[in-house]
Order: sequence, then structure tokens, then C-alpha cells
Amino acid sequence: MTPAVEVTNLNKRFGSVHAVNDVSFTVTENKIYGLLGRNGAGKTTLMQLLTGQDFATSGSIEVFGASPVENAAVLQRLCFIKESQRYPDNFKPRHVFATAPWFFSHWDADFAERLVDEFRLPVNRPIKKLSRGQLSAVGVIVGLASRAPLTFFDEPYLGLDAVARQIFYDRLLEDYAEHPRTVILSTHLIDEVSDLLEHVLVIDEGRIIIDEDAEELRASATTVSGLRPVVDEFVHGREVLHRAGIGGLTSVTVRGLSVSEREAAASKSLELAPVSLQQLIVRRTGSTEKEFEQSA
Amino acid sequence: MTTMTSIATAPMTRTASSRIWNATRLQFTNAWQSIGLPWLILGIIFLANLAIWLLLYASTSGQDRADISKGLQYSGATSYIFVYMLIVAIQAINRTFPFALGLSVTRRDFYLGTSVAFVIFSVIYGGGLTLLSYVEQGTGGWGVGGRMFTAVYYGSGPVWQRLFVFVAIFLFFFFVGMASATVYVRWKSTGLVTLGGVFLAISVAFIALATWSKSWARVGEWFATSGPVGVVAWSLIPTVIAGVVGYVILLRATPKN
Repeated sequence: MTPAVEVTNLNKRFGSVHAVNDVSFTVTENKIYGLLGRNGAGKTTLMQLLTGQDFATSGSIEVFGASPVENAAVLQRLCFIKESQRYPDNFKPRHVFATAPWFFSHWDADFAERLVDEFRLPVNRPIKKLSRGQLSAVGVIVGLASRAPLTFFDEPYLGLDAVARQIFYDRLLEDYAEHPRTVILSTHLIDEVSDLLEHVLVIDEGRIIIDEDAEELRASATTVSGLRPVVDEFVHGREVLHRAGIGGLTSVTVRGLSVSEREAAASKSLELAPVSLQQLIVRRTGSTEKEFEQSA
Repeated sequence: MTTMTSIATAPMTRTASSRIWNATRLQFTNAWQSIGLPWLILGIIFLANLAIWLLLYASTSGQDRADISKGLQYSGATSYIFVYMLIVAIQAINRTFPFALGLSVTRRDFYLGTSVAFVIFSVIYGGGLTLLSYVEQGTGGWGVGGRMFTAVYYGSGPVWQRLFVFVAIFLFFFFVGMASATVYVRWKSTGLVTLGGVFLAISVAFIALATWSKSWARVGEWFATSGPVGVVAWSLIPTVIAGVVGYVILLRATPKN
């Protein structure tokens, strides 16, 4: 199967800033990808390069087998919803939904209308007067209803409340099941979307530092907790990703365990728990969790 | 799962012309500021002028009236609408460029589509002014010897000449506006300030040259002998240059925030 996206040795510099640093990866068709990373890590720049909105300094990008830059055949199959997307200030949301079908041939107007109701979006209010969350809803609706074969959502939920975010996740998953397509979702709310993601790309300071299947990534670490001496003995000689404890109890996050190791742990009455994707990424990127959340 | 087909493999059938036309249509979406508002302002300017003409008409008679009407042929009351189109063009590019790219439109299709829209706007406005010039002529200056749309700069030739003059002037302002807008979209205010500086320098150089070589008479002569149609025909050269330059600049522009 041809990959939806193939990036090789991609670089983007802005003056002295190396925003994307020698990045190579492949995106397989009909999967949901998470592009995760802290603010300023290079997520938006990378997506702007993939959608032909910005120009690479060096390296190659192939989207559906060709460069996306000024390539109508490729771009017609993309939809890029940016957190900072600007709309003509003389537009109302209804104008956005009226013009979008001219550019997205798979546009589903009924679906868009249902989403408008669900997000309670006032379609006749000037764009300038929408709240941050309503503006995000406009983008989310375009991104979902366009059903583009390759859809990018860049932090699409800014200002959306928890209910609206859940609607977004639910509708994305439902519609994706009915109309398989490739979705790249950039976010820092990792735990909220972790069930959605099939593959995870983590970018940090312009470099891809994790490129793994989401299931494998989750299975790659386990938290072992119990009485300190028992835990210490069990984890001895293993790669410890994180350690925390109170009094005589401790919990240690270690790299993946085999079935027999799990049984051994259970027999010592140690408690095993999966590690959340967010904790795992925070630990693997070497930043503290607090730091990561602050960047959110 | 048999009914489920991957949308990635579904055919895409949009031709270049339909893509460009869709970009054109963006400029006609909620186009009150581009199409409605200018006529409204022009209407207000017209009414203000009409009030003055009425006052003049009521307080004069005979030869004085004729003299006034003759003087009014130098009316610059319509000049606003041309300059306003410069602003319409700048706004149109500035606000629809990031949006169009968000809708996966290529810069090329966006530029060509917007150019088509500006040509259509020019024809609409040019046609409107031509029509008004005939109404003005037919009503003896709106009944009071007023002149606005038959000002001397537009000529009083046959219909095709009037239409040509008006449309060409609009085209000039639209494409110069569009080129300036691409400078802004690509280099933001730094670009516009530089562009302004360059134009100022060129203008000063031209004025200095004309003054120093005592050629102002010849410049005036050129305007007089070329006539409205001739001068406007020459304006097509800068219009085309602005169109090409704008395209080249926009091709490397990125939507910034």
C-alpha cells in the first residue's frame, strides 16, 4: 500500500531557529495518527509543510506520492484545520459552510448541519463576534464534514468545553469508522485522545523522538507498586522510567514486562498498572509532567 | 464492510478552470463591502454634489449657469470610487488568502480566480459608470447642469470608449491594489513600507527630472494629445506589470498570523 505521507530528511529553518530538524517518517493510509509535542516543538510547522502552506528548507515530502506544494491534485485531497485559521472577517459561519463544498468534493452537508446543532454554533453571527470555542467549532465542522482523504487537525479544540470536545472525539471516531481516512491530530491533551490514536508521533525541538504504534507504546511500560523492598528487588536491573513513593510504599515505572514476569510480580503481591500515554510520553521526552502541562 | 470504500481512492474530477472559478466565487460570497457599499457611498457623494448643484442652479441664471456647468467638467467627485477599489483589492487578498489556503486551494488558483473576480468587478463598475454618464448627459446634468460622470477625464466619446476608459481605470486600481496586498501578505508591514518608499523615490525622481529638464509642458502636452482613451490605454501596461508581479510575489507567500 502506498503511504499517505512520506517524509525524508525534512528540514525547516526560520533564520537561526531549526523548527524541523532532519525529520523522516511515514504515515500509512486510513489510520488515526497523533502528532504530540510541547508548544513550539514544531507540530504546526510540520503540518504547514505537509500541506504546502510553507516551504521546506531541504528534504522531501510526498503526500499521496507527490509534493504537495502548489499541487492541486494532492491538495484537493487534504484538509488542514489549524487552531489559528483565519476566516474572511466579512464571513459568517454559514458562508464558510457554503463555500467549503466547492473545495472538498466529499463534503457532507447533512453531517455539517448535524454538527452545527450539536456544537450549538450560531451560523448567522459574524466570524469576528464568535467566541474562541465557537471559532474552533467552525474548524472542527469543516474538518469532519469535508471527509478529506487526509485530514489534519492542529489543536482543533482550543476554547471548546469538555462536552464539545467529547462530541468532537465521538463524531470523529464514528465517521472514521464509516468513511476510513487518514487523520493526523496534533494535541497536547494526550490522555483525552489516547483511545483514538492508532499511531503516535512525538516531536520535540524539531525532531521526531517517538514513532510507534499506540498499542505497542502503551504496552512498552508498566507501573509496579507495592512495599518498597519488594518493588526494589523486582525492578532491580531494569530500566526505570519513573519512581515515586510515600512512606513504605513505592511505585516504579519500568519498560515492558513479559507474561512470566507479570505472573512473578503477581505472586509477590505487587500491583501492576498500565501507564497512560501522557505519562509515558512525558517520561520518554525527559520533561517533567508539570512542565508538559504548563505548555498546554 | 463491503460497502465501505476508502475515500482516498475515490476519483477527483475538478478541472483547472472549475478550481479557478471556485476561487473567483469566494470574492462574491457576502460581497457587500466589495459590491454594495461602494455604490452606497457613491450615492451619498452624488447627493451631496446634487445639493451644491441645486444651490448654484437656484442662485444663478443664464450665462453664469452655463459657465458653472462648464467648470464642473473638472469634477473629481468620482475619484473616490477608484481609490476605494484599491482598498477593496487589498482587503480581498488579505482576508481570503489564508482562508483559501485553509481550503486547500493552490496559490496559483487563488490568484487567477481572484483576478477573474476583479475583472468582473471592473466590468460591473465600469458598466455602471458608463450608464450613469449617459443618464447625466440625457438629463442635462440631472436637470441642474451638474457633472460627475461626464467629467473631462473620461471623455465624451461613443459608448465603447467610455466603457473602455472606466473599465481600464478600475483594472489599474484593482491590480495595483492586489500587487500591494501580495507584498503585505508576504512581507507584512515591512514590505509595504519599503514599497511605499520605493514609489515615493521614483515619483520624486520623476518630478525632479521633469522640473530640471523643463519638460512639464511636454508632459501636459502628452496628456492632451493622448486624450482620455490614449492615457488610459497606456495605463494597461502598469496594470499588466502589477498583475504579473503580484502573482510572482504570492507564489512564495505563506499564510501567517
